[in-house]
Amino acid sequence: MTLIVSDRHLEVPEIQRAAIEFIDLSKLKIANCVGCFGCWTKTPGKCVIRDDAVQVYPRIAASDRLMYVSRVRYGSYDTIMKTMLERAIPVQQAFIRLHHGETHHFQRDVAPKEAIIVGYGDLSAEEQDIFRQLIARNANNMNFTQYRVVFAQEQDLEQTVRNEVLTWERS
Amino acid sequence: MGKILIINGSPRAPKSNSKQYAALFSKACSWESHYRDLTRANHLELCQAADEVSDVLFVFPLYADGIPVTLLNFLKTWEEYGSRQKPTVSVLINCGFLEAEQNNVAVKMMELYCRENGLPFGSVLKIGGGEAILSTPFRILVQAKIKKLARAIVRQENRTFQVTMPLSKKMFLNASTSYWIRYGERHGITREQMASMQIEP
Repeated sequence: MTLIVSDRHLEVPEIQRAAIEFIDLSKLKIANCVGCFGCWTKTPGKCVIRDDAVQVYPRIAASDRLMYVSRVRYGSYDTIMKTMLERAIPVQQAFIRLHHGETHHFQRDVAPKEAIIVGYGDLSAEEQDIFRQLIARNANNMNFTQYRVVFAQEQDLEQTVRNEVLTWERS
Repeated sequence: MGKILIINGSPRAPKSNSKQYAALFSKACSWESHYRDLTRANHLELCQAADEVSDVLFVFPLYADGIPVTLLNFLKTWEEYGSRQKPTVSVLINCGFLEAEQNNVAVKMMELYCRENGLPFGSVLKIGGGEAILSTPFRILVQAKIKKLARAIVRQENRTFQVTMPLSKKMFLNASTSYWIRYGERHGITREQMASMQIEP
């Protein structure tokens, strides 16, 4: 399954044409993770907060091609995307394993992913570098087998996403 | 003599490990310190409080490899508010993984934030095994590093420290597995249930 999760609306007809599932987080109601560990120790695999996030993380887990589109702030995903990613921890177990020589959580039924992360905004070289380092860490925790990080100015964002979708179509 | 505002940026601030780390810091610090949980409703109050101190210490856990969104939201508010006092910002961060280095990217984000907002960046303590370390005999290692952090902040030395459990990775995996099994048992959930592969069953 191919999925795009974006923190804003995108006018990209190629997404529909290619039958790619598209989730616009800005239209959803998603509360902050409260760090209760309920999804690990009370209702494993299931968040205790029953808002729109519970529709999203199973789709992220099921996807084998995934694109995140997010504004970047201080080298991090900005708050809309970050809120969702923090709410996605039910896809992991509490238990810890060794992965690439480091300790990381076991995954539940999470498909291995080819990921493209599109970070947008007016970003300095340093901010881009920190964001790349963040994605490298995410790759270990989000089951990315391959990933690319792409940057765009906001006014070029739709064209950038369009180009990436076309690259997917050709592959 | 300086004055320090300790802000707990944990999403579960009142019941968090960060609260315990902050309490240890308050005890170790010779300066007057004020502790505040970060909540959705007190951003402005904290921005004002940060104008009354020489230093701010953010205490928070690593979340999804970065700064928890509760704290990110506050940082955006603080940026918009525009700090007048420009206090020195220090960081005490913990992650549940053995490697304290897994906190590095979040620390870089905080440094970048400070640079972009003209805030001096101070000292850092990165804690590994931070979910459980305070309930182990290794608590004394954390206490010792927190004392060093407090001293560095008071002396304005801008130093970086880290601490974790002095265990092999294999021993850590065994210890953390036991920790989580006990955690689940408190809710009547077995190891097998916790290890379920199903998502939204």
